[in-house]
Amino acid sequence: MGSSALKGTLGFLMVYVIYGAFNIAHGAIGFAEKGIAARIIFFHVPCAVYSSVAYMVATWYAVKHLWLLGGTNKSNTALEDSDYKSAAAMELGFLFCILATITGSIFAGVQWGSFWNWDPRETSIVIMLLLYASYHLLRTAFTTDPAKRARLSAVYAIIAVIPSIYLIWVVPRVLHTMHPTTTLSNPADTSLSYKLVLYPSFLAFTLLFIWLMQLRVSTMKLIEARRKRRLHAMEAQR
Amino acid sequence: MGRVRYSCCNGMNDQTWIQQALALFRKDILAETRTRVAFGAMGVFSFASLLLIALAMVGLKGVLIQNSSGQAVPAWNNSGKMSLLWVLLCFAAFAGLSHSFVYEEETGTASTLKLHMGPQAVYAGKLLFNTTVLLAVSLVITPMYMVMTGMDAGTLPMFFAVMLSGTASLSAVATVVAALAARARSTGALFGAVGLPMLTVLLVLIMNAARQCYIRSESAVQYLRPLTGIVCFGVLIVTLSAMLFHYIWED
Repeated sequence: MGSSALKGTLGFLMVYVIYGAFNIAHGAIGFAEKGIAARIIFFHVPCAVYSSVAYMVATWYAVKHLWLLGGTNKSNTALEDSDYKSAAAMELGFLFCILATITGSIFAGVQWGSFWNWDPRETSIVIMLLLYASYHLLRTAFTTDPAKRARLSAVYAIIAVIPSIYLIWVVPRVLHTMHPTTTLSNPADTSLSYKLVLYPSFLAFTLLFIWLMQLRVSTMKLIEARRKRRLHAMEAQR
Repeated sequence: MGRVRYSCCNGMNDQTWIQQALALFRKDILAETRTRVAFGAMGVFSFASLLLIALAMVGLKGVLIQNSSGQAVPAWNNSGKMSLLWVLLCFAAFAGLSHSFVYEEETGTASTLKLHMGPQAVYAGKLLFNTTVLLAVSLVITPMYMVMTGMDAGTLPMFFAVMLSGTASLSAVATVVAALAARARSTGALFGAVGLPMLTVLLVLIMNAARQCYIRSESAVQYLRPLTGIVCFGVLIVTLSAMLFHYIWED
């Protein structure tokens, strides 16, 4: 899909989701403020899902980076590309994680009466936030050696997959949670008006993720090119 | 993955990687008995934090609070004490465990090790050493903590199982993060900040298991389920670290 077609579809879908959240979906039974609180799911659930999908995407490119590094045919562009994609996915994951935490906290304030309840999913998303933060912290420690930075942050991304899998699947099931566990996974429980908005919303967030990732990878390439140019200029002066 | 990186066929040295790892372990233990840096740092650090925790919680002695079902329970109870013991051990691990990799870099002996043995042997040796030191520290600290805070062990086999599996998994995480952080320049600050988020997950699992020490249960499954979580976590971390260690260790 071309860049402008992607942006056009994304713009249309986002407008539709925002309109639909208030005009197509009706208030749902069991939620606060006459069911209006349920409308958060069109924005909160995709954010929460993408905060973990982003981690998996980042790990995929981290594995690819190390795989290329171990292979015989080492092309610099392919190595850099997989590193940038991994780092970009990590940044987006961090962003979606923050958004999911904030929207979730607002919902908790309205629905459960307190902005923070130590619900297992609240606990796990805040630890997830920390995992993302420490990945970016590790990257800042290797500013002068991009190859080493790429290699070591790929290793960290792969090892931190274990805590993140525990956070996404194990912790919320081991501890008692207030989150609905079956509402969205069982299609019969969700009414048609919600499906009409929720499914396009997931599609819109998917396109948003792809678009932001393309943008971030190209800015990272520009930053690296500028760094190399400055390095050459300094060497030429000497 | 791709190329073969095991250097047990270096010519000068025909030991298996297990013998090499044990040799490294013996060397580290010898260096540790001479300088006592890691054990001393972790011991003093955890004793100081023990005093801090015990002092901070003195005010809670005898205080009753209502739990979710309306019963009055002591605020400073056994599971709370156990959780804080694990926070303490976790900080102790981060006070001392980075030493084993950092001093190889600082004294320049890392390259000699790289010549002498493969990355798998280095990882196994360091993991063994770190686990031993952490077990020794927790063996000293835990009884002191129990005396000072009046913590019960609860169900003894479960208590020992939690302590053993928790300490081993803790040192598995700390070892690989220490190896990562030792490659950076600002190692000290990085080690804690990168490692603690990974340990938080382990601590959640350990606290969940520790609660089970104080709940009487007839079926062994109630005890085994939380333990499996901790053991699996440790085993997964060790497996992945061993697979990826040569990317950390070699340039």
